[in-house]
Amino acid sequence: MVPFQYNARSLFVRKVTTLATALGIALVVFVFAAALMLGEGVNRALKTAGRPDTVVILRKGSDAELTSAIANEYLGLFRGPAQVAQAGGVIGEIIVVVTAEHADGSGVSNVLVRGTPPGGLAFRPEIKITSGRAPRPGTNEVIVGTAISGRFKGLFPGQSIDLRRNRPLQVVGEFSADGSSYESEVWGDLDYVRNALGREAVVSSARVRLNTPSDFDAYRQLIEGDKRYSMKAMREPDFYEKQSQATGGFLKGLGLTVAILFSIAAMIGAAITMNGAVAHRTREIGTLRALGFSRASILTSFLIEAIVLAVIGGVVGSTLVLLLSLVSFPVMNFQTFSEIVIRFHATPAVFVKALVFSGVMGLIGGLVPAIRASRVSPVEAMRG
Amino acid sequence: MNLATYARRNLFRRRGRTILTIIAVTVAVLIFCAIRTFIVAWNAGADEAAADRIATRHKVSITMQLPRHYIDELREVPGIQAATWANWFGAKDPKERVPFFAGLAVDHNTWFDVQQDMKVSADVLAAWKQTPNGAILGDVLARALEVQVGSRLVITSDIYPGDWEFKVVGIYTPVRKTVDRNTLLFRWDYLNNDPRAVYSKEHLGWMVSRIAGSADSAALSRRIDAKFESRDDQTMTMSERAFALSFLGGFSAVLSAFQWVSLGILVIMTLILANTIAMSVRERTHEYGVLRAIGFPPGHIFGFIVGESLLVSLAGGLVGAVIVELLINHALGPFMQDNMAGVFQHFFTPGWVVAVAVGAAAVLGVVAGLIPAVLASRLKVTDALRRLD
Repeated sequence: MVPFQYNARSLFVRKVTTLATALGIALVVFVFAAALMLGEGVNRALKTAGRPDTVVILRKGSDAELTSAIANEYLGLFRGPAQVAQAGGVIGEIIVVVTAEHADGSGVSNVLVRGTPPGGLAFRPEIKITSGRAPRPGTNEVIVGTAISGRFKGLFPGQSIDLRRNRPLQVVGEFSADGSSYESEVWGDLDYVRNALGREAVVSSARVRLNTPSDFDAYRQLIEGDKRYSMKAMREPDFYEKQSQATGGFLKGLGLTVAILFSIAAMIGAAITMNGAVAHRTREIGTLRALGFSRASILTSFLIEAIVLAVIGGVVGSTLVLLLSLVSFPVMNFQTFSEIVIRFHATPAVFVKALVFSGVMGLIGGLVPAIRASRVSPVEAMRG
Repeated sequence: MNLATYARRNLFRRRGRTILTIIAVTVAVLIFCAIRTFIVAWNAGADEAAADRIATRHKVSITMQLPRHYIDELREVPGIQAATWANWFGAKDPKERVPFFAGLAVDHNTWFDVQQDMKVSADVLAAWKQTPNGAILGDVLARALEVQVGSRLVITSDIYPGDWEFKVVGIYTPVRKTVDRNTLLFRWDYLNNDPRAVYSKEHLGWMVSRIAGSADSAALSRRIDAKFESRDDQTMTMSERAFALSFLGGFSAVLSAFQWVSLGILVIMTLILANTIAMSVRERTHEYGVLRAIGFPPGHIFGFIVGESLLVSLAGGLVGAVIVELLINHALGPFMQDNMAGVFQHFFTPGWVVAVAVGAAAVLGVVAGLIPAVLASRLKVTDALRRLD
């Protein structure tokens, strides 16, 4: 084996070239890691709110709470079967999107308002009031999720937004929900919201708490098998999975496509640098061969050099990308037509993947130059 | 041997490196154009929305509807030449051949008077007025749903329960390339008379008006909204472009991120170029010393290096432009138009994007050569000659 010091010194001697290449790779790794962090953020924002012992019921044919409608009297029937837990039981909620103006004056967007019955907050233990207080049942008081609080005119504690002419929603507090998409919603009273919309007789969706997650199949058969209902029952995690497919798949697909395209450019950059290194050191390589180092060890040595070069870039890129953790941006959820806020989310897995990715780029970019190096004939090389 | 020959020979002294660098520039130009094309395609619907049309919707929510008589009141507003309306049907293909398409219940008497970028023949229009469950489709959608004029078409809805059966009476022709060819139009009265539409009975989704070309659309919009200000259902009127953007607006943050990303690839390209040039210059320092010693002024050395960098980046840029033209405008674009019109109606790279990309490649080529060129031309002859590798 050629000592690693040889590679380290070679990289150091050609500082400028090493730096330019590593910087290029750092940028690519930055983009790649950003795409991964975006994916993590999307997963967290769109999915994490599901519990396996909770069933979401929608009208058959509807994919989203927004377009579903269930008559009030069905809620009692949903509560009937023995699988339904005594605590929590069944809640029916109404969903509506309202137009709100961005606080920074950059136009309008849609915000999701959820009208929930008195037990709606207790039904989801992850909901925490972070400032102000919970809305009183039966009033026009609402709480706003931390992700959108202050982003829109009227959606901040102490302010109000019109649900209809002379039907304002009064914001009395903020809530968090473990980073889930609930944090991009406004929660108020079921009956107040329904009355304002003139939809007293229906809810958008129902949520049912079961005794155990394994009761789901039996319960679903009861609900979907009953022809009077024409309903669809899903486990809550499956429901969120489906909700996030369109938007999440779209964002993740975009991010990864860009990262892969970028990596092509970076691999060419690495190849140029390593090619230059090989061409530059033909005589050295010849000497190494003459000293008795095998072709395989020359190949390995140059591959290692390429990988180290790329991983230097990888470390720089994946360290810089941590700054993105501070960035969040709004995006429309196709399923709900409303705005949710996504935050870049770093995990150790992202860091590891980014480093492996940079190593692979170095490996691919360095392969051809390394093979060339290993083929150098010692006699010709030393002749000059 | 003159200077041009020297420059040309220099270019291909390290043939592999030059070719790799040209490929790198080509790839960068390709990526830049692809990202920009994506942004342009995403905004196409809104950017080309007719300037002489304004849309009126419910002020509170896009999902709330307006009472039917609003259309009559709207038509009384001076400056409105014609007005029509549509309801979002939430159409879905039960066989899932098409992932997403717009299904609109529209007023068959006035729709085509206002939406003049969709055309149908007088015969088709007459047939539509005779057929309560008649539907008119875009050609791309008709092909995807495997129906022709006269076919039966069954559609389901995200909003209204059950199967909905239509008879295809015609295919509309788009007058511009960016007009959606993936829309299903059927008669609003057919929806309104169906008991399943009880929650939207006698209600309109949104209204679209055609206004005189000379009219001040902002003032007119305010006048319309003022008319309904004191009602229970207030309105929000905006240009058709703003209306289209209110659906796409949620992605503006993603799009601006993409604009930054497209600049990122140019930075990477510059780094690769600068690296190549620096390597070449280092190898030839001795030669530059010789050139200087036999009387070439520093300006020539500078010119050689910057010129070489410019030449490489320009070659890469032009190859990239050709590939963009072939790959996006002649392969991907037509393919998307025929098969994925629901995603992107018009995925073509505009000429200005290609021009910007090639221009950027040229400018950045000069920039990349600048530092090595300045350093090399400032080098003392004796120092340069002493350098051996």
